[in-house]
Amino acid sequence: MTKYVQHDMKVTPTPEEAARQAFMSSMRMYVLHDLANGMRTAYEAEVEPKFERKNKRAPKNGVEVHRAIKKDPTFKFYSSMRCNAQEMVFRSILPTVERDQDALNKKAKALSRSKKVAGTVETDPKFKVPRSVSAVDVHRMPGNYDTEYGPDDVTQGAVYDNGISVFSMGFFGENLDDIGGSISMFIKNKYPKFAPKRILDMGCTIGHNTVPWAKMYPKAEVHGIDVGAPVVRYGHARAQAAGVPVHFHQQNAEATDFEDGSFDMIFSSMFLHEVPKKGIKKVFKEARRLLKPGGLMLHMELPPNKMLGAYDSFYLDWDAYYNKEPFYKPFRDMDPQAVCAEAGFAKSKFVQYIIPSLGQYGEKVVKAAVKKQSGRADDQTGRFAAGIHWYCFGAWK
Amino acid sequence: MSDAGNGKKPLRYSVRGKDTRFFSGEGVDELVAISMTLAQELWVVKERLAAYETLATKKKIFTTKEIEGFTFTPAQRARMDAESQAFIDRVFFTLRERVEGLAADPDEPPTPKEP
Repeated sequence: MTKYVQHDMKVTPTPEEAARQAFMSSMRMYVLHDLANGMRTAYEAEVEPKFERKNKRAPKNGVEVHRAIKKDPTFKFYSSMRCNAQEMVFRSILPTVERDQDALNKKAKALSRSKKVAGTVETDPKFKVPRSVSAVDVHRMPGNYDTEYGPDDVTQGAVYDNGISVFSMGFFGENLDDIGGSISMFIKNKYPKFAPKRILDMGCTIGHNTVPWAKMYPKAEVHGIDVGAPVVRYGHARAQAAGVPVHFHQQNAEATDFEDGSFDMIFSSMFLHEVPKKGIKKVFKEARRLLKPGGLMLHMELPPNKMLGAYDSFYLDWDAYYNKEPFYKPFRDMDPQAVCAEAGFAKSKFVQYIIPSLGQYGEKVVKAAVKKQSGRADDQTGRFAAGIHWYCFGAWK
Repeated sequence: MSDAGNGKKPLRYSVRGKDTRFFSGEGVDELVAISMTLAQELWVVKERLAAYETLATKKKIFTTKEIEGFTFTPAQRARMDAESQAFIDRVFFTLRERVEGLAADPDEPPTPKEP
């Protein structure tokens, strides 16, 4: 069920717009469940046996599955409808955002100037947005994170907030903060003596998963960075509306202007798969530079291909080929432990967790997961389905 | 979309560099997109009708203002969402039918080959 944006930056859809938006949540559910299951059935019943007859073995990896399934009609319908559904999600919210654009910009300005909450925001008119963001409409979102329609514009923040509200079918929680909420609760309970004084969220977009860290560690100074000016402006207004002080900056996580050893905790969510491989290596080195000794770097992501079977690898890599996520597969082909080690983190300090969703399972289960791993890596890890878990990895410095 | 001539820069609705195609037959990808949009628009009509019916039952009489201001309760919303799932399944039944057809009885007499 769609959880519409409810905070102070909410928009006001007409009944027809709201119906279109609700329909898109249902349509995505149909594509990601019914059609996806149908495609897997067709693979197991027809595509895989055919491959085995021809090659005298099963497909070894996602690429071989992809090659084998490409001509199957279930793949074509699944893919075609999933692409269309992705675009229709954004088209369903764009007229509402467009109509409310002026009001949103005014509200954002007022919230940003409000002294009731101590958050801040900094954007840089000379900032060079990397090509990986400026040249592509990532996950088919027209305008991406960086398009500005005027001075101090927040439009793309609203497009993203409302778009992922429809897109996530409720799986991201009431405030789209389930990832940050689940993981911060897990870390707080797993490492009760760890009390970060400064926390940085890299690639934070609208700060929906930054705010939970500030709530979990209220004494910490929390910062969020992103290359998109509209999303950090919107994120600041959104955090101010929630009464949570967060400091937003338009900065590139590959090279920030923070001092060495200035953070105890560095987090990111659904960020690395949108960064080119070279950039990811820089991000890890930068995170290591910014961390104090004893600090923790933790990235929430889709599980790497090495943790998955051939079909699940194909299924998750689909986005790289068809959803305007060109860096998705190269990232998922990387070995998380090796990337951390390459950036200078000791192999013995590597950590990875599969954490139950706070929204779906509740506090008790998340806390219990501290002692016993409850999830496993498969095509549903980090995906929208009953039983959702979040995968994350990183290292202590 | 923005009204032309109001001086505002219109929001972009299209995705840059759209080039993804899955079907070799000409126009099939476009037909899928059009069918999905038709399904969405039909759903809008169905939802509007449900709103009318709910109000008509409740009040016996209604005004346009009442209709414009109508929103479903969470329980009604959940029911509508479930109905929309069933609706989608009906519209795209041919896709489910193909998958279910894979479980056909192996003893089923084969269809004669086309001449």
